[in-house]
Amino acid sequence: MYPALLAGRYLRSRLIPLIAVGAVALSVALVVIVVSVMSGFLDALKNSGRSLLGDVIVSAPIGGFPYSDEFIAELRKHPEVADATALVDTLGLLRMPYPQGSRKEVVPVQVWAIEPLSFARVTNYKSDLYWQRGSDEKRATMQPDDPRLDLEESLLTQGETLTTNSGAPAIVIGMHVSVANERQRDGSYRPRYNWFLPGMQTVLTVVPVTEGGRVGEQRDRAFTIVNELQTGVYEIDKNRVFIPLAVGQELLRMDAAPVVDTTAEPNAQGQYPIIGTSPSRVSKVLVRARDGILPSELAVVVQSTLDDFSVRVDGDSGRMTRVPMNTRVLTWEQQLRDIIAPVEKEREMMRILFSIIYIVCAGLILSIFWAIVAEKTRDIGILRAVGASRTGILSTFLLYGFAIGTIGSLLGVAVAVVVVRNINGIHDAIGQDAPTASWVVSSGIAVALAILCVHALMRSQVLRTLLWGIGCMTFALIATGLFLHRGTLIWDPAVYYFVRIPDSIDWNTALYTALGGILFSVLGAAVPAAKAADTDPVEALRYG
Amino acid sequence: MGDSPLPIIAAERLHKTYRIGHVRVSVLRGATLSVQDGEWVAVLGSSGSGKSTLLHVMGGLDRPDTNGGQVTFRGAPLSARSASSLDSYRCRDVGFIFQHYHLLPELNVVENAVLPCVVAQSGALSLSGSARFQATAMELLDQCGLTHRLAHRPAELSGGERQRVALVRALVNNPTVLLADEPTGNLDAANGAAILDLIAARHQLGLTIVMVTHDTAIAARADRVVHLVDGAVI
Ligand SMILES: Nc1ncnc2c1ncn2[C@@H]1O[C@H](COP(=O)(O)OP(=O)(O)O)[C@@H](O)[C@H]1O
Ligand SMILES: [Mg+2]
Repeated sequence: MYPALLAGRYLRSRLIPLIAVGAVALSVALVVIVVSVMSGFLDALKNSGRSLLGDVIVSAPIGGFPYSDEFIAELRKHPEVADATALVDTLGLLRMPYPQGSRKEVVPVQVWAIEPLSFARVTNYKSDLYWQRGSDEKRATMQPDDPRLDLEESLLTQGETLTTNSGAPAIVIGMHVSVANERQRDGSYRPRYNWFLPGMQTVLTVVPVTEGGRVGEQRDRAFTIVNELQTGVYEIDKNRVFIPLAVGQELLRMDAAPVVDTTAEPNAQGQYPIIGTSPSRVSKVLVRARDGILPSELAVVVQSTLDDFSVRVDGDSGRMTRVPMNTRVLTWEQQLRDIIAPVEKEREMMRILFSIIYIVCAGLILSIFWAIVAEKTRDIGILRAVGASRTGILSTFLLYGFAIGTIGSLLGVAVAVVVVRNINGIHDAIGQDAPTASWVVSSGIAVALAILCVHALMRSQVLRTLLWGIGCMTFALIATGLFLHRGTLIWDPAVYYFVRIPDSIDWNTALYTALGGILFSVLGAAVPAAKAADTDPVEALRYG
Repeated sequence: MGDSPLPIIAAERLHKTYRIGHVRVSVLRGATLSVQDGEWVAVLGSSGSGKSTLLHVMGGLDRPDTNGGQVTFRGAPLSARSASSLDSYRCRDVGFIFQHYHLLPELNVVENAVLPCVVAQSGALSLSGSARFQATAMELLDQCGLTHRLAHRPAELSGGERQRVALVRALVNNPTVLLADEPTGNLDAANGAAILDLIAARHQLGLTIVMVTHDTAIAARADRVVHLVDGAVI
C-alpha cells in the first residue's frame, strides 16, 4: 500500500499540489454552476409550463370549439383525467387605473377568460394568486412592511371566483402588468406610490373575431381588479389577465346565440325566423392528468375522446356546429416546444463548451506533475534502490493524481453548491453598490502591502519586493473596482422569463463533472507517472 | 580462489560501457570480485574509477553490458531474475548506503528507516510500518543513537545522523549483504568513525559488506582490500 501512503504524504507536504487541487476545484465548480443554473432554468420552464397549462392542451382554431361542457364531461369519465377546464383566449388592451388624471396608461394584454374553479383544479391558479394572507409559517417570514400581512381576507376568494364582493365579474391581472409592483430582495412586492391595484377599476378592450375570420367592432368592459397573479414566468406575469369565461365569451361573441334563417321572410318586426341555437364556444380545453399518468399517455386518451366526440357531433343532425377539424391535442411540452427547445440546445452547447475545461484541467495537472516528477527524480531512485517496483512508482503518481482530482472535484462541487444555493443573494449583492467598508479595508491592505514592499526594497530583497508589490497592486485594483462598482443587473427577468435565478444543484451534472474531473486528473498524471516509472534509478541517484 | 567455498555474492568479468554522444567510455573492463559469506571487502579506487558503477551493478540497480559478465547471488545469476524478483533482491537481500544519504525529505526518521519494510510488505497500513518492523527499526535506531530524533525530517538532522538513518534503512530488512558507497565521504572524521563502528558491529554479527572508497584509512577497517584500476579488480 506504499503508493497510497506516499501519495498521501506528498499531497500534504507540498504547495504545488494545492494549486492543482484549486484548478480542478474551480473548473468543476464552474461547470456545475453554469449547467445547474441552466438546468434549473429548464426545469422551471417545464414546471411552469405544466402548472400554467395543465398536462394536455386541446386548441381550437379561431372560430372556437363548441359543446365544451359535454366534451369535458366525456373527458372526466376517463380514469387518466384528473380534471379539465375550458377557456377563451384573445388579445386586448387594458386601461390601467394609473396615473392620476384622465390620460390613463393602456397596456396590451393576453386575455384568458376562464372558469376559475375548474381552472384552479387544472393549473396552479389559486396558489399563484399573489395577494393572499398565506399560512402562519409563511407570514412569520414576511417583512414587517409586507402588505400581505394586513390584507383583506376576501381578496383571495374574489380572485378565486373572479367575482367582486358585490357579485360583479372581476379581473385578475399578472403581477407585472402593473408597473407599480416593485419586487423586493426577498421576492415580495411593494406597491409603488401606493398604487395597490386590487379594488381599483380598469377597462378591458377586446375585438371579437367571427368564425369566418371577420373582425368585429371593439368592445369595452369595466372590471374591478380583485387580485394579481404571480407565476414566476415573467412573460406571463407581464401580459396575462383573467376574466370569467362567460364574460369573455359574451365580449367575443362566442356565447350561445339563436340562429336565424335569412333566406326566409322576415316577420313584421323585420326579424328572421329562429331555426336553432349556435352553442357557446371556447378556444382551449386544458386537461390535467391524474398522478402517475404521463402527459403523452393522457394526450392519447384525449385525442381518442376528441375523435369519438367529433364523430358523435357530426352525426347529430340536431346540432348547428361541428367540432373544427384542425383542433389540435398537444402536451404542454409540445405546446412550449418553441421556448424549451432552444434552452435545451443552449444547455448542451454549454456542456460541450465547458468540457474543454477538462482538457485545460488535464493539461494543468500534466504540467504540474511533470514538475513534481522532475523534482522527485532522486526519491524515485531511492525508492527503486530499496526495492520499489516500476508499477509501485507508477501507481504512486497515478494515485497522487487521483487524490488531487478527487479532492479538487469534491471541493469544486462544494463551492458550486454554496454558490448556486446563494446565487440570488450573490446576484443581488452585485446589483448593489459595494459597501464602503469593503473598499476601505481593501485599500488598507494595499497600503500595508505597499509599506512591506518598500521595506523589502530598502533591504534589496528582490523576491519579496516583487511579491508584496504584486499583492499591493492586486488589492489596489480590487479597492478601485469596489469603489467604482455601481450595481448592475445581470439577470434581467425580461430576458430570462423568470424573476428568480434557479438555485438548485443539478446533481447528475455534479456527479458526472466530478467524475470527469477525477478522470482527467488521472489522465494528466499518467504521462508524468509513466516517465517516473521509466526513470533509471542509477541516473536518479547519481544526478538527482 | 578455486578452493574457496561458494561466494555469497560475486561479480564475474563485468563490463560496463557508457556512451556520451559518440564517445564510448568503458568504465568496467572485466571486473571480478568474489565475496564470501560474512566477509568485509573494501574496494579502493580513485574518483571516477567505476566504484559506484560496480556497486550499482552488484546491487541489481544497473545492468552490465550485454555479454559483459554477470553478478551472482548465492550462485544464481541476477540476469536470470524477473523484474519483480530483482525488486525483491534489492529490497531484502541487499542493503544500500550512499555517500549522499539519499533519505526521502517528506518522511521522518522512523518512516525513512522502515521504508524497505513498507515497500516489501505491500499490506502496511502506515508509512511507519507494522509493529513487527517498528520493533526491528526501533532497536536499530536505538543502537545508532537516534531515539530522540524519531519524528524529525531529514532536513532537521546533521550529516552524521542522516547517514545513521540511512544505515538503519539499509539494515532494517535484515539483508545478507550491505553495499556501502563511500559511506563516510560526506562526514567529518568523528562521524565517519561512528558510522564505521556501527558497520563493524554488524559485521561482527555476520553481515557481509562490500564497501567502496577512495580513502585507504577507511579501507583498512575491512577484512580484505581490493583495488579497482582501469576497470578491473586487482
Ligand atoms: N550515465 C553515465 N553516462 C556517462 N558516463 C558515466 C555515467 N555514469 C558514470 N559515468 C562515468 O563512469 C565513470 C565511473 O563513474 P563512477 O562509477 O561513479 O566512479 P566512482 O564512483 O569510482 O567515482 C566516470 O568517469 C563517470 O563519469
Ligand atoms: Mg562514486
